Amino acid sequence: MSNTLRPYLNAVRQTLKAAMCLENFSSQVAERHNKPEVETGTSKEVLLNPVIISRNDKERVLIETSVNSLRVSIAIKQADEIERILAHKFTRFLTQRAESFVILRRKPIEGYDISFLITNSHAEQMYKHKLVDFIIQFMEEVDKEISEMKLSLNARARIVSESYLSQFN
Amino acid sequence: MILLDYHNRIIEDTLKARFNPENKPKPVDMSIVDFDGVSYHLSTLDDQDTKLNLSIRWKCWPELVQYGAMDVLKREYNQWIVTPESGYDFTLQFDLENIGADPEDVIHKVSLLKRNAMAAPFERAFDAQAMAEQEDHWDPTSSQLMTIHYRDGEAIYVQNQQDRVTVIFSTLFKEETDRVFAKVFLQEFVDARKKPHLQNAPQVIYSHREPPLEIRHVPGLLDSESMGYITFVLFPRNYAAGAVREETISRIQIFRDYLHYHIKCSKAYMHSRMRARVSDFLKVLNRAKPEIQASEKKLASGRAFRRA
Repeated sequence: MSNTLRPYLNAVRQTLKAAMCLENFSSQVAERHNKPEVETGTSKEVLLNPVIISRNDKERVLIETSVNSLRVSIAIKQADEIERILAHKFTRFLTQRAESFVILRRKPIEGYDISFLITNSHAEQMYKHKLVDFIIQFMEEVDKEISEMKLSLNARARIVSESYLSQFN
Repeated sequence: MILLDYHNRIIEDTLKARFNPENKPKPVDMSIVDFDGVSYHLSTLDDQDTKLNLSIRWKCWPELVQYGAMDVLKREYNQWIVTPESGYDFTLQFDLENIGADPEDVIHKVSLLKRNAMAAPFERAFDAQAMAEQEDHWDPTSSQLMTIHYRDGEAIYVQNQQDRVTVIFSTLFKEETDRVFAKVFLQEFVDARKKPHLQNAPQVIYSHREPPLEIRHVPGLLDSESMGYITFVLFPRNYAAGAVREETISRIQIFRDYLHYHIKCSKAYMHSRMRARVSDFLKVLNRAKPEIQASEKKLASGRAFRRA
C-alpha cells in the first residue's frame, strides 16, 4: 500500500465508523412512512453535515449521514481513457447486480462513480464493522483490479503485435 | 490460439469428408460464411451427387476482378472453373469421381479461395513496384491506388511506389471501448518494430480519424471519431517472389480480422475477470451478515425437537 493510501483509507474508515450510528426513524412528513432520510432530504434537522475525504483531485469519498441512513459515494481514480472505460464497465457491472449487493445504490450520485446506501435495517441485520470493512476493501481492490486489467491489456497487445510481426522474419 | 488461420476451416473439413473415396457421395447444400462478409455455397447438382459446386459471393468482387482476380483464380483453379451460379460471383465444380489432382492439394487450395481472390491487387502492386525499380526515372503518376471496399465502411488501399508498396486499412470501431483498446494494440504494433529481432518487419503507422496522405484525396472517406487508419509499408524484402510473397499476402489480408479478434478477446477476458471479482466482493459483503445458528431445541423431557 502506498504512503498516501493508508491515511486516506484510515480517514474513511474512522468517518464511516462514526457515521454508522443509525437508528430507526419514521418519516416526519408522511405518516406511517419510514424512508432513508438522506435520500428524501425532506427534514433538514435529521441530516448531518456531509464529509468529503479526498486523496487527490480524482479520488475522493463523499459520506452523507442522516439519522437513519448513510450514503457513501466513491470517485474512482481514472488517469486515462483506458482506466475511464474500465472503471465505467466495472461499476456498471456492479450496479447491475445491486439486487445481491444489498447496500449498493443502483445509480451513483452525480460526480461519483459508485454509491452505497446503508440504512438502519442493514446496520441492524449485519455487523457494522464488517460493513465498514467491506467498503474499505472495495476501495482498495477496485484500484488494484483496474490497474491489473490495464496491465494485462498492455501485455496482451504486446504479445499480439510481436507474434504478428515476428512472422515477417 | 494467437494467430488466425488463412484458410476456411469449414470448407476444408467438409471437402475432406467429401473427397474421401470411402464415403459415399450424398447430396449436400451448405451455406458457409467467412471473414469480411464472404459467403460460400457448397452444393451438389440436383441429379448428380458426385458433382460438387462451390460458389463464393463477396460484395467487392467487381473490384477484385478489375484488379486481375480472374488471372490469379485461373492460375489456381483453372480446371474447375464453371459459369457462376446465379446469385454468386464465382463457382468451382468438382467431379468426385475424378478430382483431377492430389485431393490434399485441392482441398488446401480451395479453402484458400477468398485469400486467392484478394491476392490479385497485392500481386499487381508487387509486380508494378518491381518494374518501377528498374527504371531510372520513375514517373510518380504511374503509381496506382487500388481500392477494395471489402466491408461496409471499411476498405483496403494498395499503392505501389518506386521502392515500396503501401497497404492502408481503414477500419471502423463500432464501440468506444473497441476504439480505446485498438489504440493500445496499435501503439504496440508501432513500438514493436523497435525490438532488435523485429527489424525486418514492415513499418506500421497508425492514425486515428485523420487519413494518411496517400489516400487523403480519395472521396467518400468517413470523417468520424470511430475511424482508424493503419498503414503497412512493405519493402521488396517482404515480398520476395515465392513463399515469402505468398505468406505476406495472406498475412496482410488477415490483419484486420486479427486485430479485431484480439480486441474482442480482451473484452471477453475483462468481462470474465470482473465477474470473478464481483463474486469476491459479494463474499466479503456476505461476511457482514451474522450466521444464524440453528440451535437445537429440546423438550422438557430432554428429547430433541425438530420442526417440520
